This record gives sequence, structure tokens and C-alpha cells, in this order.
Amino acid sequence: MSAHPTAAREYQPVFLGKTREQLDTILKRYPNKQAALLPALWLVQEARGWISDRNMAEVAEVLALTPAYVKGVVTFYTMYHQHPVGRNFVQVCTTSPCNLCGAEGVVKAFLEHTSARDLGATSPDGSWTVIEVECLGACGFATPVLINDDFIESVTPEKVPELVRKYREGRR
Amino acid sequence: MPTLAINGRTLTANADATILDAARAAGIEIPTLCWYPKLPIVGNCRICLVSVDGQPKLLPACATKVADGMVVTTESHAAVENRRGVLRLLLERYPAEHLRNGGRARPRNEFEQYVARYGVDPTPLAGRDLPLRSGDERPGDPMIRHDMSTCILCTRCVRACADIQVVGVLDVAWRGEHAEIVVGADGDPDKAGCTWCGECVRVCPTGAIFETLPRQRFTPAQIRSPERVVRAVCPYCGVGCQVDLHVAGGRIARVTSPDIELDTPNQGSTCVKGRFGYDFPQHQDRLTRPLIRKGWVKDGGRWVWNGGQGAERRGGPWQTIEAEGQRSKPGTPPRATGKSVRELPLLERLDMDIRDRVATPPAWYEPFREATWEEAMELTAQELLRIKQARGGDALACFSSAKCSNEENYLLMRMFRGGLGTNNVDHCTRLCHSTSVAAMQRALSTSAASGSMREIEAACDVIFIAGANTTETHPVFGAAIKRAHGRGATLIVADPRRTELAGRADIHLQMQPGTDVALYSAMLQHILAQSLENRAFLAERTHDFEKVRAAVQPYTPERAAKITGVPADVIRRAAETYARGPNTSTLWAMGLTQHANGTDIVTSLLNLMLACGMIGRWGAAMLPVRGQNNVQGASDVGAIPFVYTDYRSVKDPAIRAEYARAWSVPAETLSLKEGLMVTEVVKPESGVRGMYIMGENPIISDPDIAHAEHWFQELEFLAVQDLFLTETARYADVVFPGASFAEKTGTFVNTERRIQLSHRAADPPGQARGDLEILIELSNRLGLPTPHQSADEVMQEIAQVTPSWRGVTHSRLEGAGLQYPVPTADHPGTAFLFAERFPTADGRARFVPVEYTDPVELPDETYPFVMNTGRQLYHWHTGTMTRRATGLDAREPTAIVEIHPADAAALGVTEGDLVRLTSRRNSMVTACRISDRVARGQVFVPFHFREAAANLLTNPVLDPYAKMAELKICAVKVEPVHASAPVPAD
Ligand code: SF4
Ligand code: SF4
Ligand code: FES
Ligand code: FES
Repeated sequence: MSAHPTAAREYQPVFLGKTREQLDTILKRYPNKQAALLPALWLVQEARGWISDRNMAEVAEVLALTPAYVKGVVTFYTMYHQHPVGRNFVQVCTTSPCNLCGAEGVVKAFLEHTSARDLGATSPDGSWTVIEVECLGACGFATPVLINDDFIESVTPEKVPELVRKYREGRR
Repeated sequence: MPTLAINGRTLTANADATILDAARAAGIEIPTLCWYPKLPIVGNCRICLVSVDGQPKLLPACATKVADGMVVTTESHAAVENRRGVLRLLLERYPAEHLRNGGRARPRNEFEQYVARYGVDPTPLAGRDLPLRSGDERPGDPMIRHDMSTCILCTRCVRACADIQVVGVLDVAWRGEHAEIVVGADGDPDKAGCTWCGECVRVCPTGAIFETLPRQRFTPAQIRSPERVVRAVCPYCGVGCQVDLHVAGGRIARVTSPDIELDTPNQGSTCVKGRFGYDFPQHQDRLTRPLIRKGWVKDGGRWVWNGGQGAERRGGPWQTIEAEGQRSKPGTPPRATGKSVRELPLLERLDMDIRDRVATPPAWYEPFREATWEEAMELTAQELLRIKQARGGDALACFSSAKCSNEENYLLMRMFRGGLGTNNVDHCTRLCHSTSVAAMQRALSTSAASGSMREIEAACDVIFIAGANTTETHPVFGAAIKRAHGRGATLIVADPRRTELAGRADIHLQMQPGTDVALYSAMLQHILAQSLENRAFLAERTHDFEKVRAAVQPYTPERAAKITGVPADVIRRAAETYARGPNTSTLWAMGLTQHANGTDIVTSLLNLMLACGMIGRWGAAMLPVRGQNNVQGASDVGAIPFVYTDYRSVKDPAIRAEYARAWSVPAETLSLKEGLMVTEVVKPESGVRGMYIMGENPIISDPDIAHAEHWFQELEFLAVQDLFLTETARYADVVFPGASFAEKTGTFVNTERRIQLSHRAADPPGQARGDLEILIELSNRLGLPTPHQSADEVMQEIAQVTPSWRGVTHSRLEGAGLQYPVPTADHPGTAFLFAERFPTADGRARFVPVEYTDPVELPDETYPFVMNTGRQLYHWHTGTMTRRATGLDAREPTAIVEIHPADAAALGVTEGDLVRLTSRRNSMVTACRISDRVARGQVFVPFHFREAAANLLTNPVLDPYAKMAELKICAVKVEPVHASAPVPAD
């Protein structure tokens, strides 16, 4: 069967094996399946890095929702990625206070040193995506940056090359 | 009841009514956008805000309940200013250039009407901050176009899809100014489960979601203001949806669904066939002149045959269905194998190729010549009378049609009984619910559903569905069942396939095909063991229960589990749920009836139903779901071999006398001998030598076609009245061009005994005539006085000879129609029957014990698969109509067999590959569709396709009572067909 041309394109479900078990544990915490939608989407994003249309359809099926409903939820929240993102995902606060303290420069520096070039785009080597976000709740330590799950305060354009080097080498 | 004042008028309203309800009831109009009848109220558009005295703010009329003493002003200054504001905001994202500068005189849709009424001037496009939403996102779709640039986000479509059709293809995604309606996760309706019902088209107030075909074939002006809008009954299934046909240029431009709050069977919904399957009457293949087989010549005032003899007598330049079935095929286009329409370039050339897919090949006309009506009538009358004189009336037979009106069926049976003296009158009910009728007659002396479709949604606690794929075969009713389930009714489905309803069911009894008797007997056995039977009902309203009690004893759930494959616990749970009700409705269809022991199967289900007393109450309905839109009516008016109208026996001389009087013929003209049934006629020993077939295509629908096809060729005379030169008509001597549903006025009876009136919208093409006209003329020529001029007059005669229709007239049927019995002119019709007694002699139901027997053909080593046959959502029976309906054919263009993924893997075949199916009778080639809807070891073949006709394979063995064939089960083998070279998808 695997020799057949369509087999190569076949979709690999996310919720198999361990991920399925994780979902089942989550499902136990909620009164109904629909309530587990957000954590289920997190599992997908963890496993695949982003959430494709096909993933949304799978989530819909697993939770007995409709694909359009899942899409509605995914697109409502900014923290679910609907496109592949780089291995390192950089979120820079550009809300007014940080902006006054030079957040724009930090963004520019990240775009330059990671070669991601455009906000939201992924660098050609697939390792970086930089986006602007709203207030990260650390206005006193402008400019805060989230790289993957690490929270880094008081970033200035000058500190950017060093950070980029560190994360490029896989230190997190 | 609260009393309130709206615009100075004092009104009373129900306590739970909204201001909008109260206003509408009083004929006061309040603008609405997000509100729509029967949809959940969301109150998000704010256009309906009204002033209420004493309230600081405007209130939404659609979402505010009335209160006693309320004083409402609908067009106060504040309300009007608010409406203008709402409209202005919506117009910011609406292509509205044509509405500027006085362009509001011709509003194009519901939304623009409000813009016009409130005199709002849109900002020019150039001056806007926000771009329009994206335009047509799915170009080339054959049915529905989405142009979200005109969407106003009222979300009616979302709710219509999710709450009325219970599908959920659409939703709102993104946020704020980016919000828009999305289709599934990836924009592809097919993948999101869209059934193309068009409910979203119906409710959209702007035309953002609209049908494709009208826009391709008609001008915007024709669509907006059709010449006429005519009420008709959908020509497809037994739900009997009322539809409005929009006529432009003498053709049907569009179908909409009317009067949604009226008590019609569909209440505004339709399925894909009803809304998009309307263009077959305009197909190029329509017969427009009578045809006579070349070889018939007139010689000295008589027609004589001087054409070829033997095989040439009815030959023609075509392949038999048998040969077509066995031929290799070009495979299946991706669309037919569940792939996205966007991957399919073919559809962009909609008009060019798809309509011709099943077009009558030109060569089929070669054996015929065009004739005048005079010639065709004369020849037919001469031959029918000749055969009658030479061999007796019983050498003639007719197949009437469940697609034709009551009036037409009545006239045809009247012609054969009164004019030709034979009771050989039958129609496709034989292959449909004849076994149900036999079983219901035996147990209850009745032949129709006891209840109504709407009670399922209104009052039923447990819905038991056996052998009915309702969401595909009766989609509008299927949606009602899904709604009922959604509101809390328990759903039990007994079906070998995992149909959509089975997938949603609380309990799915997925049994081996044909093991129903064991299953229902075991349910009853368990019910008795638990003492859950309805003792009072058994004692007061039934007979002979003890016989059945004894008969079911051996069927323990454990034993039934072995036979049916359903675990004993599941059987027990289903039995208890069924018996506990409190109101359980019992639905069934072809999955039970199309078996060689169909009568016994239905009987065992009726035994279960009666033992629990689940009949004769609102909410406890017995509903055999009828297939064709008039299969109930055709039987009711006597187009079956044993009875006249109202199921009154042909054997009773007193009854015969009554009909003889009504038809002005001597009583002896009418035969007292019961006639032959469809499946008996098509046998060499039937003695039938001449046939008249109206609107049926037995060469595709009969079991073991190869035999049937041969039999038809041996006839002395065959006349066919149809829309197209069907596979059957090509063997005819005379072909009469009839009229389609849109071209005639007549009545149809739906599955809940509702007689409905369908009006003529267009003229038949060319010289084609109304079927009624044809029958009137032919009856007169056969010497049977038939003075009727119209369907209305025929109905008067039917009412006169049909006690339960006595109060029926065409004028009374306008609107929602009447559910018979309607015994008197002022009787309101009957929503459910048997509240007090059954129509048996003593008013009690009879129990009939039945035993389980194995299906006639079980799989073995040579034929390891069980083949099941049935219908698909997009097609209808032998495909004559739906395969000529552009949109429908585009969605399901080729023949397939559904096969389980594991079986497919074992055979080494995949989606779209060709396989050869062989039964003990014949073989044919078709393409695979991999689907886990079928269980392992089973295959499902739809019977719509002449090029891979399921009925080549089916087993013609007959039910002893109803002469139903075993269409649902035969043993087949499946072998891959390896095409020598890649064949292009056609
Ligand atoms: S056509 Fe029917 S199923 Fe499809 S999106 Fe519209 S309402 Fe839903
Ligand atoms: S597509 Fe039509 S029905 Fe749906 S939200 Fe937009 S305007 Fe309303
Ligand atoms: S504004 Fe940047 S952290 Fe609050
Ligand atoms: S119609 Fe009332 S808020 Fe939309």
C-alpha cells in the first residue's frame, strides 16, 4: 500500500500514542469535550509547531466540534500559530511604554540579526520568527522579550546579537 | 396573556412572545437582519431596536419578551436614527456604489431594501478606511457561490447550517474588523461535511451565499423578478417538500422554499436535490415528439409490423446493461472520490461536459421515427385491444409510477381495469415498501404511517430507526431527527452500515445484514423478561400476543448476539430504552423491506412496537419512510394489483360494482382476479405479452436486470410514457413524451399521508403533453368513457370513490395540504391515527409470530462479500432525472462501490481503482470508494448508474407475501481490474 502515490500525502494524525494519552488526561478535567478545545490546540502546537487547517479538522473530529468552529477559536487568539514558525519564536513588546523606551529598535535588531526580515515571516533557514506583541506586563523593565518560553527583560538593540547567537547555538 | 401597545395599537400576545413576534402577528413590520424564523436568537445586528416607554435605552425587539402594559414605538426618532447608524456601519464594508446618489430605487436584496427604506447614502468606495472582504472564494463550484464581499455578518447562515440542518459547515473566524464567515477549516465545504442543502442560501439576506446556476443561465433581472413563482412539490423523496419554482423565459430559473412558518413538511428547508436538482426538465434529451419504432407501418387502416423478427424486433445500436456493466471504465474522477472540487478543472466547463455525461446517445434514437400523436395513440390503442382480444386482458400489464400524480396513477389504473379488464397494475412500491404494507395489513389492516414527521421533533423521547439512511435518502426529515436528538431525544439506529445517524446515535445496533428478525425478537424477549411490556395496551388493544411471547422465547440476547454480531448487552440496553420511552417512534425503510423475508422482518419490528404500545399517541409514531414522492399516493389510489382506491379489494363484487358505476362500465368488465405484481410480471410464465409503462425504468430498477432486459425484448407490444428515452423506453414500440413535475398540476402524497397540490409552472417542451392528457385520450380510445378535463376533475372522482379522501378537493389542498383520512368536506385531516382503535374488524391489532431465517445467499469462499444496494444523497433511483441535473451530477458523476479500508487493502486497491463485482448471476465493473461506513466483509453499491448497474447482481428471489426481491443482500466477489494503460478520468 505504501507504494501508492496517495499514501505519501496521507495525513498523520496528531492524537496518537502519547499525545492521545495527554489529551485523554486533559479531557478528564472538563465537563465536556468542547471545554478541552484550548488545551487540545496547545497539544497540537507543541507537537507540530503550528496548527494547520488539517489539524483543526482533526481536533474538531476528536472533540466532536465542527472544523469551522475550531478555526474560529484558533483565529481568535493570537498565540495559536496558523503558519509554521521558526524554531525560535521571538515576541517583542511594542506597546506604548516599551515603545517610548526604544522597542522599535529592538524589533529591528532582531529582524536584522536573525535574517527573518519581516515581522511574522520565518527566516530562510527556518530557525527564526519575530513578532510584535502587546504589553508583556514588565513595563518597568523595557524592553521585555519572549524567546520561546524564556522571558528576558531590559533588552536593548545592543544586546540582540548576543541573544541571537546564544539561541542559534541551541541554548535555551 | 399580556396586553401591550405597539405604535398605538393594543395587542395581546403569548407570555413568551417577543416584541417582534407580537408585532409580526399584528402585521407590524420591524426590520430584522440577524433574526430569522426558527433560528436561535442572537440579537447581534441591532437593527430591530425599538423604543419602549419607561426604558432609558432602545431594546432589541427580536430578543425582548413582551410584558403587560408595555408601550412600544417601532419607528420612533431614536429607533430610526439607530437603524440608519447600523445600516451606515454595515455599508462601510459593502460594495454599494450602485446604492449611491438615488441608486436606491432598485434594491437587490433584503439588506438593500432596508438601506433604501431608511434612505442611507453609503460612503464612496474610495473614501473608506476598510477594504471589502474577499470575493468569490470557490470559483467553479456547480452549486453554491460564496462572495463574502457582500456579507454583513448577520450569522444567519452559520445558525441555519448548525441549528436547522445540524451540519455546522460555517462559522465566524478572526476578530474585530477581520471577522468573516469561514467554510470549514480550509474553505472546502465538502471536507466540512456540507450536504449542499442550500439552507445558507435561503437565509442569507444579501446574496453573499447564492446559487451558481441561476447566475450562469439567467440575467440578474430575471432572477430578481421572475415571471411567476409557482408552488410545487419536490419531485424526489417521500418527505414531499413544498418548493417555489421561479419561472423566467418559460424555464425554471431557481427553486426557493416557501412559507417557512406554515405547517409544510419541510418548513422552508429542502435538501440538495430539491434546491439544485431542478434543471433536468430543460435537458436537451427531453422527448418532444412521440416516437414509433421503425417497422410499424399502416396498411389498409391497420398498423402492422413489417420490421425484423427475433433479436432484431426490439434491437438497437446500443449495448445491453449487462454489456455496459462489464466494460472497463475510465475510472472515477477525483470529485467522486471525496476530493475537493477545487482540484477539479472540469467543473469550470460546467455546461459543456457534465450535462452530457448520461445524455441519451444519438444512436439510441435510430430505431425510431418521430410520429404524430394521432399515429402513436392509434397504434397503441389498436395493439392493446388486439392483445386483449386475442389473449385476454390478463395478457396486458401496466407499471404505473410513484413519480406521477395521484390523478395520473388513478387514470392509468382506471384505464387498465375499466378499459382493458385486468388488475395487472403495479408500480415500484413492489420494490419499496410492499413488504411493509403486507406486514402492516396483517397486523393492523393499514398501509401507511400512523403519525407525522413533525411529531418526531415535537414530542418523541426515543427514536428507533431501522434500515433507513435518513440523512441521505430523506435529508429534510433526517435534519429533523438530528434536531430532535439535539434537544434530548435518544436515538437508536439499527443498520449494518455506519450511516451519519448511526454515527450520532446513542446506540448503534450494527448487525449483520438480514438478521433483523433475530435482533427485534431478542429485544422483545428481553423486554418480556424485564416485564417492560405495556400490559394494558396488550390486553385492551391486541390479539394473539401469547403466540409471539412463545415465539420470541428462544431468542435470548446471547443467541441473537451470535446471529447478528451485536453484543448482547447492547441489545439489552436498546430494548430497555425502546420500551421505557415514554414515547418511542419507530421508523424504517428499505433496509428492512428489501429482503426475501421482508414481510417477516417488518412483522417482527411491529411485534416489538405493539408489545410496548408505541403507537397511537402523539410522539409514538409508526413511520415507514416512503421513498418516492408519490409512492404512498400511487398505492392509495389503487395502482397495485389487489385493490382499488383506499385499499379496497378487487375480489369483492360489491366494491367492484361501485367502481363500475363510477366509471360507467358494466360490472363484468372489471376483473375479480387479483393482478400480477411487478416482480411477477417480468417472468416468462406471467403470460404478459403487452405492456404500458408510465414513468418507470424497470430495466435498471428490477433485480437481475439481464433477465428483465431479455424479457422486455420478447414482448409483443410495449408502450412507454416518459421524459427521456430511458434504458427501458429504448425497447418500446411507442414512446409518448410526457411532462415533468414542473409542467403539470396534480397531487402527491408524502410519507405522512399528506396530500399536497403541485402546480404547473412551465409548458412541456415541443409537442410533449401532460401525462393526464395522454391517459385521458388513450382511455377514451380504448372505449372507457373518460370525460375529465383536468386534474381537479379527476380528483373529484377519486374523492367520490375513496372514503378516506372524500373531503379532498384541490382548493382545500392549497397551503400545507391535508393528511388523510379526510372523510368529510370540513374534516381538518388526521395528524396521527389509532388513538382508540385499529382499522381491523374488531379494532384490535394482531400479533403474528415469525421466525428468523438466514438470508438466501450467504457469503462463502467463492463469493466472500455481502453486497448491499441503496441510494446516495445526490442521486435518485435509476438516475434518469438526477444524472441530468447539472449540479447533482457534478457532485456524484460516476458509479462507485463503497468498500471498507481493510478489505481494500487486502485486495490491493485504493480510492478510484476499478474492481469487478461478480455475483452468482452476473458481473460488472465499477470504481472503489474507500469508506468505513460499510463494515468489513460488506460492500455497498448505489443503483443509480446504468454503466455499473447494481441490479445486474441482485438476487431475484421473492418474499412469499409481497413478492419483494432480495435487493439488499447478495453474495459477491470483488476483484481488482488492472487497466492496461492509465485511462484518463472522464
Ligand atoms: S449548503 Fe447546507 S450544509 Fe452546506 S453550508 Fe449551506 S447550510 Fe450548511
Ligand atoms: S454570508 Fe449572508 S447569511 Fe452569512 S453572515 Fe454573511 S450576510 Fe449573513
Ligand atoms: S508596555 Fe511593554 S511590557 Fe508593558
Ligand atoms: S434582528 Fe434583532 S438584533 Fe438583529
